[in-house]
Amino acid sequence: MTFANDLTCYGDDIKALADLAGDFELRSPMDVTTWYRRDWQAIADVLGFAQQLAAMPTAVPINNDRIAAMNTTGLAAFERALQGRRAAASDEQARVQSAALRQLVTAATPRGELWRVNADPTALETGACYPEGGRSLRAFYPDTAPGYFGDGWPGPPPRAESTCGWTTPLVLHLGTFPWVYSSRLEAVGPGMRWAASASNPTLLGLQIAVSLLEPRTNLQQDARQVAAIFHHFITQTAPLMARIPLYQPGRAEVGRLYRRGGFLYVHQGSLHVASLDGPRGHIAAPAYNYIVRRFASFFAVRRATLRALPNLGPEIQQLAQNAADPCLRQQSQGVARVG
Amino acid sequence: MSRSLWVTLGTTLGVGGLVFAASRRASAATTVPSNQGPASNPLPPMELAPLPKAGDVSGDLQTNWGDTPPDLIPLFMLMEETSKIVGSARLFAVIAYRESQFVTTAHNGNAQGEQDERDSSRAAYKNNKDRNPPLKYGEQAAEFGSGGLFGLLAPYYLWTGVPEIGKRAPLLNAPPELVFQPRAAAFGAVVYMQRLLANYQIDDHADIKAGWASPSLLKSGRGGAKYHDVRANFLGDAMTLGIDLTDTSTIPTKLDATAWPGVPAVFSALIGALPKDLA
Repeated sequence: MTFANDLTCYGDDIKALADLAGDFELRSPMDVTTWYRRDWQAIADVLGFAQQLAAMPTAVPINNDRIAAMNTTGLAAFERALQGRRAAASDEQARVQSAALRQLVTAATPRGELWRVNADPTALETGACYPEGGRSLRAFYPDTAPGYFGDGWPGPPPRAESTCGWTTPLVLHLGTFPWVYSSRLEAVGPGMRWAASASNPTLLGLQIAVSLLEPRTNLQQDARQVAAIFHHFITQTAPLMARIPLYQPGRAEVGRLYRRGGFLYVHQGSLHVASLDGPRGHIAAPAYNYIVRRFASFFAVRRATLRALPNLGPEIQQLAQNAADPCLRQQSQGVARVG
Repeated sequence: MSRSLWVTLGTTLGVGGLVFAASRRASAATTVPSNQGPASNPLPPMELAPLPKAGDVSGDLQTNWGDTPPDLIPLFMLMEETSKIVGSARLFAVIAYRESQFVTTAHNGNAQGEQDERDSSRAAYKNNKDRNPPLKYGEQAAEFGSGGLFGLLAPYYLWTGVPEIGKRAPLLNAPPELVFQPRAAAFGAVVYMQRLLANYQIDDHADIKAGWASPSLLKSGRGGAKYHDVRANFLGDAMTLGIDLTDTSTIPTKLDATAWPGVPAVFSALIGALPKDLA
């Protein structure tokens, strides 16, 4: 481990977190292919599109866009799977959600706050409201209470009067999409229910989440925000996890929930019917695993990107050197000195 | 496979911060040991292959599954593909929803209030042991009640395959706890489904569930209050789960078991081989 790719600036536990997703060399095409395939497999297993992912062409273009190409393939598999499901949201709601997501991404990316977006809903298109049955309804859940990702976001209140009753900011955790809210960590992420026939904010949501696995977008994201949310999540879940026994091969009991390699595992049973209950509410086992994996993957990509930074071209190096994140600035300056 | 039908509505069962969805019918045994038993008759190891994955099946794992747990869908599909009973996968999901709430270790008979389920398994064993091959764990089966993903009554479960292959039936030496292994439960369920389709008047999908509760409901009990209750619960379960029983692209109007490949082939595809001590 060199100075340049040390993640301890974000916390002593972040290296171990990144290790959960595995280390890889960004400069090694084989490493990249293996790592991203495995990460997409983990996403597909939880979100239920492993079959579509397996059916996608496995050839990966031999060029600099290898990661983007693999993300495109994964998203295409996800889109195909969504086509087989019934629409849960109305077309109107989905259209407003999609428009809001695009606005939020445009505003949050330069600030390095894409993982968790926090906006005045009345400043978004249609005020983040949609019509249904003659009423105006909120297009998203007002996620303001203390939860697993934070201690709540009661304010500031919207600047304009909301036609659908927004009195708080709109807060979405896009890095862990489809578990976008600090509560409601059920077996099916709330974002999975956004899908509609005409517009598809569910696909857009996953597209935003996996964009953080691309080196450029990963560096643009302020990792301090991600680390802070992770630490909050771990602080809230650690007491619950401590009650779960460690998995020991050959000694496992059928149907029992275990901790295995940093994740939850049910031996000879469904992970989807297991969950934890704590003071911050219910958290389904698949949600827990998926969320931890998203944090781990983010920092694994960050580590690999930092290690490869001297070879990533002046634009990305400049991005790192000018970052608001002092950890990243320091690391990139270390690269410059070493280079 | 006569059994009483429990309609106790359950929500969740919490065990020290750990929660499993509890059965509407079964009490979920969250810590069922696989290698423990009475000191006088310790259970042999019975670890089977893990749950099948998406890559192990070819059927559609996306359409018309409702809220079926994604990690169990390949098992239900493998059951359909193995048994060649087209459309059965989603019905198995609806049945498992009622019988176990998808908890593989669901057990009816291990709680104080489950006396009637134990009575059923005792009666099943007592009334049938003389006309079936002996069960190595017969007495334990008699006391077991029912369990597993599909709520199978222990003595009948261990006699699975006897009508077709007699003493070569594969579970005669197994303890009833084998039913907690999802692949083993799946084997019992597909054989039972085939028996119902081949030997009883099945007018529609809800009749399958009536036969699951008790084959007598398809004969002398047909049209009675219990018959209608079971059918109504089944149709309600399908709606709650989000599986459309009228979607003929995934579930034919009538299931057909005429392509049944036979108990040995189904056993081989779902379980492979039992550990040496159980075979």
